[in-house]
Amino acid sequence: MYKQVLKAQWLAARLPVVLLAVLAFALPLLTVTSGSGLANAPVERVGQWLFAAQQVGVLIPGLALLAGLLLGIGAWAPDHAAKHVYALALPIPRSMFVLLRFAAGATLLAIPVVTLGVGAIVATLSVSLPDGVHAYPLQLTARFAMAALVCFAIFFAISIATKRAALATLGVICGVLLADAVLASLSIKDAASVTASVFYLLTNWPGPLSILMGRWALFDV
Amino acid sequence: MCRIAVSALALAAMLAGPRAEAQGVRAGAARVRTLAARAESLEAQIVRQDSLAKRRRYDDLRARRFTAGEVTVLVPAVVGEATGQHIADGAKRYLDTLGAVAPSFVASLVAVAYLSAGWDSVLRAEGLAARTRIMADIPAQPDSFADGWSVAARVVRAYVETLDPAWRSWVPLDLGLGFMKGRDDVAAVRELAAGDTRAGTECLGGRAAACRSWLGFDREANPYTARYTPAEIRNIVSRRMVEYLDVSAQQCVRGSDDACLQYARMGGVSAVPAGLASVRSVLRAIRVLHGAEALRRAFADTSGAIGQRLARGAGIGEDSLVTEWRAWLLTGGGRPRVSASARDAMPVLLFGGLLLFAAARSGRWR
Repeated sequence: MYKQVLKAQWLAARLPVVLLAVLAFALPLLTVTSGSGLANAPVERVGQWLFAAQQVGVLIPGLALLAGLLLGIGAWAPDHAAKHVYALALPIPRSMFVLLRFAAGATLLAIPVVTLGVGAIVATLSVSLPDGVHAYPLQLTARFAMAALVCFAIFFAISIATKRAALATLGVICGVLLADAVLASLSIKDAASVTASVFYLLTNWPGPLSILMGRWALFDV
Repeated sequence: MCRIAVSALALAAMLAGPRAEAQGVRAGAARVRTLAARAESLEAQIVRQDSLAKRRRYDDLRARRFTAGEVTVLVPAVVGEATGQHIADGAKRYLDTLGAVAPSFVASLVAVAYLSAGWDSVLRAEGLAARTRIMADIPAQPDSFADGWSVAARVVRAYVETLDPAWRSWVPLDLGLGFMKGRDDVAAVRELAAGDTRAGTECLGGRAAACRSWLGFDREANPYTARYTPAEIRNIVSRRMVEYLDVSAQQCVRGSDDACLQYARMGGVSAVPAGLASVRSVLRAIRVLHGAEALRRAFADTSGAIGQRLARGAGIGEDSLVTEWRAWLLTGGGRPRVSASARDAMPVLLFGGLLLFAAARSGRWR
């Protein structure tokens, strides 16, 4: 059953998957476009190169978000188009079908993760690093996998959510923004921003989006 | 304006004189008297107005006391209640953030705005006469943008003046009060990566002894020969406008090693190869990693070299301290390099599982 679901999902999402795989392979290589022979380079150049590596690193969580978005929404696109007739016709419980869809989506997600890993290894092998600077291809790939998975889970759940759940989510977001607007209109001194607090909670450990933050540089001290 | 009017009236009175004579002595004399009386009245009015304005100005500048914790500030009354308190609170916040200055020292001072008037009587009346007075640059305007930074800076400067000569020659005058996250980090990394000295280059590469030398941690009988080579001094001097410098600087650039060392010893080159941004970053790193108490302990310590004092204050070895600082600086404030640990994975798996559970429990076709 998993194989059939995976095949159906691949057919529906192969174009975005291939696009994501190409991007994932290219991003780590961008890091080394500004030079590769650094072992005996002037220290100032190494500093600039590290800075450039960090700038490229910023794009990687963006790619994880894009991968999660495309595959999370793509996982349910054929079902939405066919009004879920195929799913209802299957002799399995709904929870099992959701699990199969999730597993198939996560498997497809592994393709850009692997290509990013390959790109990171190729980039690492192509550069001679000076003392004190190290490459982190495995850590970067694992972090990218986790970030892509969390984004995939979010968009996967949003895509299959009921209207009530979608409205509830929208309501919470609007509520937070409204609370901020009210606090701002009351001009309360030292009042904390609700939006900022929520954002902080989400993006700092153990917040679920904390994986998207932090450092993403392939080369670092 | 009033003075011009008085002069005009007096002139008019003088002009009116001959006219009155022509028209009749009595009428003219009466008019002169009237005008003279008016002029006198105006003069009195001017004096009254002047004294009133002076009085008002004095009242505006009269010192008012504001306190926030150990910080006491006297600011001109015109600054207003809210801004005055804001300045005191801001100064306290800056000093708390810096953490290097002992609260008991802050409590022994009173900061007085340069423009405030009658502060001596306020100090006596408020029982603050025994405190050391420091003058601070606080604008005498209501709703000014002053946020207490200048008060905090003066307190810090007063504190630095109490430190022993070894500290005074090493620390920046603001003790890192002006350290701006991001901007100073970048400046410190740039200083380290500039490659002016071999010590700096090796420190960037991770050699603790080189970092100690670069930061001027060790006590040296001759810091210039221990921390620089003549070629490094020459390299530093040659980037300056040598033609305006001392003759030893010019000889140094022309290739004389002795002249380079002589120029450096004369104060032409800093005894500590690291710049102020890097020294500030060391203080900031200790504050962040070991707490304000570590800095206070270090500043209270007067035995041994700077590195030993800082290490004793932080409670770790000197090499550990420089290694810690280097990692803290190069990773942008101690943020770890790219990581993918179980700690990172835990929220991802929990949240992913939760969303999967929610998706399986409810759906559009249920």
